[in-house]
Amino acid sequence: MNIVVNGNNRTVESPPLTPLLHVLREELDVLGPKAGCENGGCGACTVLIDGAPRRSCLTAVGSVPDAEVTTVEGLGAPESMSDVQQAFVHYCAAQCGFCTPGMIIAATAYLEGGGSADRTEISEALAGHVCRCTGYLKILDAVAAARDGNFDLSTTAESPHTTVLT
Amino acid sequence: MKAVGARLPRYDGVGHATGRTVYVDDVRVNRMLHTKALRSPHHHAAIKRLDTSRAEQMPGVAAIVTHTDVPLLTYGHLSALGIPADEPLLASEDVRYKGQPIAVVAATDTDAAQAAVDAIDIEFEELPALFDMRKSFDDDAPQIHHWGTIYPHFEGEMNVRQIRKGNVEQAFEQADRIISGVYRPAAIEQMPLETQVGLAVPEPDGRMTIYSCTQALYFSMGVVAAHLQLPLNKLKFVGGTVGGGFGGKVDTATETLCALLAQKSGRPVKWRWTREEEFLCSSTRAPWHMEIIDGVTSDGWILGRKMLTLHDAGGYARFSPYGVTKHSFHHTGAYTIPNLHFDGYVCFTNRTPTSAMRGYGVTSVSFAVETHMSRIATELGVDPYELRLKNANRIGDTSPNGIRYMDPSTVDVLHAIADATDAELAAPYSDATREMREGEWLPEHLVGQLSHSEDH
Amino acid sequence: MAIHTGRGIASIEYPTGMNQNGDPSQAWIKVKPDGRIDVFSGTSDIGNGSKTIQSQIVADTIGVPYDWVTYDNSNTDSSPVCTGTFASRATFVAGKAVLKAAQRVRERILEVAGQEMEISPEDLEIDDGEVMAKGAPTKKLNVGDVAAAATWGHGELITGTGAQLNPYAAISDPTTGEVDGVPHAAISYAACAAEVEVNDETGEIRVVNLTQAYDVGKAINPALVEGQIEGGAIMGLGLGVLEDSYPYYPSAEHRGGDFGSYYNPSSADLPELHNIIIENPSADGPYGAKGIGEMSNNAQPAAIATAVYDAIGVWVTELPITPERVLKAIDARDAGGGPRREGKHVIFDEELSINTVGTGKTWTAGV
Repeated sequence: MNIVVNGNNRTVESPPLTPLLHVLREELDVLGPKAGCENGGCGACTVLIDGAPRRSCLTAVGSVPDAEVTTVEGLGAPESMSDVQQAFVHYCAAQCGFCTPGMIIAATAYLEGGGSADRTEISEALAGHVCRCTGYLKILDAVAAARDGNFDLSTTAESPHTTVLT
Repeated sequence: MKAVGARLPRYDGVGHATGRTVYVDDVRVNRMLHTKALRSPHHHAAIKRLDTSRAEQMPGVAAIVTHTDVPLLTYGHLSALGIPADEPLLASEDVRYKGQPIAVVAATDTDAAQAAVDAIDIEFEELPALFDMRKSFDDDAPQIHHWGTIYPHFEGEMNVRQIRKGNVEQAFEQADRIISGVYRPAAIEQMPLETQVGLAVPEPDGRMTIYSCTQALYFSMGVVAAHLQLPLNKLKFVGGTVGGGFGGKVDTATETLCALLAQKSGRPVKWRWTREEEFLCSSTRAPWHMEIIDGVTSDGWILGRKMLTLHDAGGYARFSPYGVTKHSFHHTGAYTIPNLHFDGYVCFTNRTPTSAMRGYGVTSVSFAVETHMSRIATELGVDPYELRLKNANRIGDTSPNGIRYMDPSTVDVLHAIADATDAELAAPYSDATREMREGEWLPEHLVGQLSHSEDH
Repeated sequence: MAIHTGRGIASIEYPTGMNQNGDPSQAWIKVKPDGRIDVFSGTSDIGNGSKTIQSQIVADTIGVPYDWVTYDNSNTDSSPVCTGTFASRATFVAGKAVLKAAQRVRERILEVAGQEMEISPEDLEIDDGEVMAKGAPTKKLNVGDVAAAATWGHGELITGTGAQLNPYAAISDPTTGEVDGVPHAAISYAACAAEVEVNDETGEIRVVNLTQAYDVGKAINPALVEGQIEGGAIMGLGLGVLEDSYPYYPSAEHRGGDFGSYYNPSSADLPELHNIIIENPSADGPYGAKGIGEMSNNAQPAAIATAVYDAIGVWVTELPITPERVLKAIDARDAGGGPRREGKHVIFDEELSINTVGTGKTWTAGV
């Protein structure tokens, strides 16, 4: 069968019940989506399938023939990052970075679906994505600001949550 | 522009945001084998028989490693700190926790490896298990560890980490109130998003390259070198980019066994733990049991503390004695208490062995001491800020083991949160400083503990 | 049913570096022919940001732009010993190793520049990639030109090594715990104020606000400091009210083996956070910094437990403070429970004590 990954037609040899995550990582060498749990629990493997966010670990590749699959790599390369990717850099929203590919996909889908900059709504949209490092706050701030674009990537955003006493 | 102090973006931020950062699981090498482990299904059992001959004949199997294949089976990761070795890399005579590895299989894929694990013949004799460290001292406690139920090697041959300072008996006599409480934080998971993962690649020059998610490349290389009895020039650790650690990746969980399987098979061997293994078989934060008895004056001076700490090591010592020693050094929290009597024990149970996690040794004591402080404030009817500011470490105060505090900021951080939450402090507490005690800040019971030395 | 609001505080300290010290970190630096800087350090970046922090330290210590610095911690063939990324040591201990290496590189650059410019190295300084005569900044030479001169003219490689080892403090008296030296690289301090809402019918706790102050000595990168404080806050919240590897303890069965059965914090659990960063420079740290990565999850559980008491008048001292424990504590309170009072003794939690549960040891105020 065939699927389209980040705009490229790819032929898949794996059996149809193989999880899409496994196909992407082990057969096609698309390494952005991470195997955080392979059980639908962490969200690190999330990809867009025909524009909708899906856990690739729970998606049998045979159930999405000819689908357009977008991983975090497909949203933008280092020279051409999307607004959401830039926002994650500018807000320091990634620490170890392992949950980031799924977070950015979910945030992209949320914003493209017309999601607001309201913190509670963003938080609900991302609640199925586990991050152990950041405490989520910088992720929420990044997503809230992402639509504005034009980030200065030579620095990071001042935090409205911080007071510095010297 | 100066870099230090600037809100520069992360060095690795663009890689993270574009999915280009390379973690161990993203490394690709040819002819790679995959690993599964035979793990103990029992909390405590004797191994009566272990036979891998049938499993070795399974399709796709390239190597099986058991305890007989390890040049140095039992190595103490902190032997340099005087903690003797007690944990075999693979179980040989007994298993002391559910999930303990007994054998590992490298095969062409994980299904083949798992099928071979299932084909290993093994017989156990189940033994009684212990999960409550408060019963470690009981006469009828099951004997879990060859050292007994309590770690016996503090400073060579003590079974307790002690702190003694001043005279607690006298402090309790002078106290207006003696307040006791018990504090029990649970075992929790470090839970990095990246599970334990390693990849060992035999090189044509006889070296071994080990891709590792360790938090400590040289430490883990030392562990592998010890078990394999190799000089360091035979190993190359590759890593430094880790998908979260929080202490759990100070354990060298996969690297040594990958290296042994790679040696035996002559092929690259990878082992990525499943999330279930990460939750159930990797070390946890330790559960602790702490009993604090404080003698206090009715206006809120802490005259003396008697404290018992039990630390649940699980089935093996690992870093636990280090954790309890660190705990003992900090058992007064951010306060100066001149009379101390502390006993800390490392207890063996049949829980999964515990290990480092963020705040190791002190997270427990922070919870116990601070909740106890809040209780004292409530019991005495003293403002919780005032109680803390009174007893706060100040310059020239001395620690439980007699070290002079050089730049304590307890007063500063308390003032900061009071200001930020509109908590009103009355004089003299609003004017307290970190400077050396004098006047009303230097009651008689604190006079003797002051240090005027400039070199700590 | 009623929702009760409560507040509580906690104030903590935590050591930087391994307890008792003795934990070395080393680094070396080489300069490329165009002046760009290659740093080799063995410090794993586990998300803490040590690649960034150590690069910042090197850039300022040598006097070159941050983007001139390449940082390599990738392998043990090229990088020297680092005891590891734990014990809040990566900024302080490993940071001092790269700082010392950078100081030596700076000295070598000044020596070569001095020969090129025919000015004594003591009369030169480096800023933003330019070596300049002190007091006469128009007399200058780019660090790239200095490195080129070293490479093609002098036949030299500009390098520097650095190592940091706070000496091991042994326990000199095991009966008292006295030590023969300072057993930490530094001590950091923090305080936390928690505000919670407790539902007295369901026992549920919602942490509404965590206001936290950390004395970090010097924030080498404030954004990364915030990352530690915020991430630690949520981890401390998890430890306080959510997480338990043995949810059916004392049974060790039915442990959570996946994210669906282990109760870790999600973005929906996030309270309002207010970070207060205090900078009282430490005497020994790089640029005055101290480590705070680990202590950032230490203060919340006690602040939350105290806030729960403030809200509903019960102390829950077994973590996590689950709805079940809250409801049991409310029942005990309503049944007239509380500490045993005897003379000047106030004894809480007798049911949890080793005196009650074990038979082999007792712990009382008697000495």
